[in-house]
Amino acid sequence: MLMHVIHMGHDVYKANDKIAEKNRKKLDKHQVFSVNIMGAIGSGKTTLIEEAIRQLKDKYKIAVIAGDVIAEMDSSRFRKLEVPTIPVNTGKECHLDAKLVEKALGEIDLDNTELLLIENVGNLICPVDFKLGEHLRVVVVSVTEGDDIILKHPMIFKTAELAIINKIDIADAVNVDAEKMREDILSLNPNVPVILTSKHDWESLETWIDFIELGVKKAQKR
Amino acid sequence: MHEFSIACEIFEQVLATAKAHGATEVKSVTLQMGRLSHTNPEQLSFCFKAIAEDSIAENSDFLVEMLAPSLECECGYEGTVNEKQIRESDTLTSELLAYVAAIECPICGGQARIVGGRDLIIKSIEIETEEDQTTDSNNN
Repeated sequence: MLMHVIHMGHDVYKANDKIAEKNRKKLDKHQVFSVNIMGAIGSGKTTLIEEAIRQLKDKYKIAVIAGDVIAEMDSSRFRKLEVPTIPVNTGKECHLDAKLVEKALGEIDLDNTELLLIENVGNLICPVDFKLGEHLRVVVVSVTEGDDIILKHPMIFKTAELAIINKIDIADAVNVDAEKMREDILSLNPNVPVILTSKHDWESLETWIDFIELGVKKAQKR
Repeated sequence: MHEFSIACEIFEQVLATAKAHGATEVKSVTLQMGRLSHTNPEQLSFCFKAIAEDSIAENSDFLVEMLAPSLECECGYEGTVNEKQIRESDTLTSELLAYVAAIECPICGGQARIVGGRDLIIKSIEIETEEDQTTDSNNN
């Protein structure tokens, strides 16, 4: 018997990153602006995406990737708004990864898409480690999750490029200070834009929609 | 909880490499895990052992080396987070939060960019082969 040490140096996450880069190049080639919307279960991701679709679908060609353990429920909500929707069932997995998105991209007519909204699985932990190839990483958190939720999950807020604090109309009812949540996000990620939203306050949603539209316009100039 | 799928990926890579080198048994698997990765070493080890049952890696030791996050700052600083300083701090309760909060540049105080610390690398494996097995230059 002989003993050997074999040096491997195989990076498990890099394998995902490489596919994410490929996805990004594909999206860039077709001038598609893509948004990865992450957040806990019940934070309001689907509702915020629905609002964006309602406001932008007459101006831009939109497609949606709806990721969930069982994705059919959210997909049917998006299909009602008459946008092409690809449900991605992750089964036992708690996040989308670049490979699942690569497969979904194959089912989307990218020549006829200007904006791709990707709803990630409801989870504040696992999606952080898996890049998808997106242009904008958004994290949605609602006041109902408690105002200590941000410091409990620092990495997702540290790596987000846009943070949304949602359902602020019921902050008092759940005894939460939305401003404290904003301060916590900025303490982790001082330069990230933070938007406070409520589906009953049109102006607050407008900021979220403007943010997406800005990205679409930039992508079209590439 | 994504440890199971990661453990599957590690198992496949380890087994492919071991077989390519003519292994009869995998004695140990050594991983390097960044402290900012959301992977739990104990759960990963548990999943790996479950998957490796009835394979040549069944009795292997599963070793995890933790890596400190590395930083880059606009001022030109490049280095790792000061782990000693974090251990001494008693004001921060969450280990992960301690790392994220510590990511400010020790030179200029600005926000340093995380360039490492979320890695998950299969560093090496230790294998046993038959006496007359020829392997590559990595022999011990």
